[in-house]
Amino acid sequence: MRSPIKLTREDKIVNVTVIIVGFIAFVATFYPLYYLLIYSLNDPVDAASGQLYLFPRQFTLSNYSVIFLDDQLLNSFLVTVARTFLGTVTGVLFTAIGAYALSKERLLFRKVYSLVGLVTMYVSGGLIPTYLLLQKVHLLNSFWVYIIPSLFNIFNALLFMAFFRQMPKELEESAKVDGAGDFYTFMRIILPLSKPVLATVALFVAVNHWNDWFSSAYFVSNQQLWTLPTIIVRMLSDTAIIENMQNLPPNMRTDPLSTLLAIKYATLIVTVLPITIVYPFIQKYFVQGMMVGAIKA
Amino acid sequence: MKQLDASLKPKSNRTWKIFKSQLTLQMMILPCMLFLLIFAYIPLAGNIIAFQDFKIISGFTGSEFVGLSNFQEMFSDPTFYMAMKNTVILSLFYLLVVFPAPLLFALLINEIPFVRFRKILQTTSYLPHFISFAMVASMWIILLDSQGVVNQSLLTLQLIQHPIEFWTDPDLFRPLSLLVSIWKETGWGAIIFLAAVAGINPDLYEAAMMDGAGRIKRIIHITLPNLIPLFAILFILKIGTLFTGNLDHSILLGNSFNKESSYVIEYYSLQMGLELTRYSYATAVSLFQAVMSLLLVLFANWFSGKVSGNRLF
Repeated sequence: MRSPIKLTREDKIVNVTVIIVGFIAFVATFYPLYYLLIYSLNDPVDAASGQLYLFPRQFTLSNYSVIFLDDQLLNSFLVTVARTFLGTVTGVLFTAIGAYALSKERLLFRKVYSLVGLVTMYVSGGLIPTYLLLQKVHLLNSFWVYIIPSLFNIFNALLFMAFFRQMPKELEESAKVDGAGDFYTFMRIILPLSKPVLATVALFVAVNHWNDWFSSAYFVSNQQLWTLPTIIVRMLSDTAIIENMQNLPPNMRTDPLSTLLAIKYATLIVTVLPITIVYPFIQKYFVQGMMVGAIKA
Repeated sequence: MKQLDASLKPKSNRTWKIFKSQLTLQMMILPCMLFLLIFAYIPLAGNIIAFQDFKIISGFTGSEFVGLSNFQEMFSDPTFYMAMKNTVILSLFYLLVVFPAPLLFALLINEIPFVRFRKILQTTSYLPHFISFAMVASMWIILLDSQGVVNQSLLTLQLIQHPIEFWTDPDLFRPLSLLVSIWKETGWGAIIFLAAVAGINPDLYEAAMMDGAGRIKRIIHITLPNLIPLFAILFILKIGTLFTGNLDHSILLGNSFNKESSYVIEYYSLQMGLELTRYSYATAVSLFQAVMSLLLVLFANWFSGKVSGNRLF
């Protein structure tokens, strides 16, 4: 906001204050993440001696190579990637298809369907009944516990519906004239025109999948199926993990505690990095999406 | 009777016809409805086990009903009261400290004179929202460890003589939990306020400038009053979450040392149910909490309707 009027004393004081406070806020947000980065890029034994503030002192990538050489960490990384990819594709499609049908005025029993969905926004079954259900349908301790229970999300359905409703009706009508059925129209005409809302919802769903630590911690006991966030949580309380690591370079074996710390930092960075890289590109979409959601609510 | 039949029949016939004509559309909504039935409504009905002595072998239908005895036991357990107290205190602090932060942050961002810096700060501030709480918690636990970088720096600067035991002191749990939340969610929460700021009529500012109002006066008399209604609505609705604890914080930032202030009601229910397999008792605890929360939400909604004319539903 550059005003043509000369800055007054008050303006200057306000400007200086907000810039200082803003700068502090920026450092407070950014520095913890940056610190993880430099620590993870430094030799673990050297880093443990402290005084590491701005740049890595003894640069090394060994902490990262440990992650990708360790069977369990690599495995959980792959599980997390697979789960995020599959969960996002299925979750977005499943929800979008339902939301499209629900956005059509002519749908019979539309009020009933909407009510069935809306009720679940305010009351939910609670953890134990859900757990018992998952047990009953044999989803406990299975990879599918990550995918199936999050196929549909009512809030995302509302986002989709708001978007589909404001699409011109002529689109659908002209498709109908050409003899296209509802499903064909949806897949071939509506979906390709819905990129902004698809991107928004896909981002929300993907972030949820990538970040979820709860379902693998409580619904999956097989460690082969654990996701990265869960492993991180376990690493924090369980030093035994490092003893199980094969392929650890000999110099890292001498000081297992510092090594573990550096590997934790590196794992944190590996988990946080994909989101950090992707998100500036889709930023404008999710801000839009967030606003639609906020206005709806 | 005959007349009624006659008037009903064509109608149901017509309904069936319309239904058949839009069979594809109906098939598109069917999976969602089945999904909700299985994953939302069955667990909802499953709350019945709060009134049973549930055994896995006997199932929902075969387990013995025990009336309110699970609830009686709950009300006589001191741990339940401790968890309840922690839940409410933590939520109250959230409401008073964490909740206003996005508004203040939006005001700050709005006053920054350089567009570039404003954009950078805003973009950076969203980032933590997208990081798993498991990561955020791990990060802060490591950074604030007794040998972590914060303690190291404070020792080097000789501001303290001994490292501060951030995570084992029950008195520090609440402030730290609030700080972590502020770090993670303030930027994201500010989006809605920034959008509201963008919607303020610029004429108002010009008129105020003509009348000689300075920057601070404009913030206090134009920007802030325009944000207050939105803030009030969000605040009232937030009251509905007073009985909802923060399970993430309790599990990941809590430990046996700070348990007396970090243990919340969800964690209590989770441990009773999943670790001690006392399914009925755990369900009774979470059902009690869910009912309290629902009542509070309904109250908040009614109150919001009274005060501002805005209701959520």
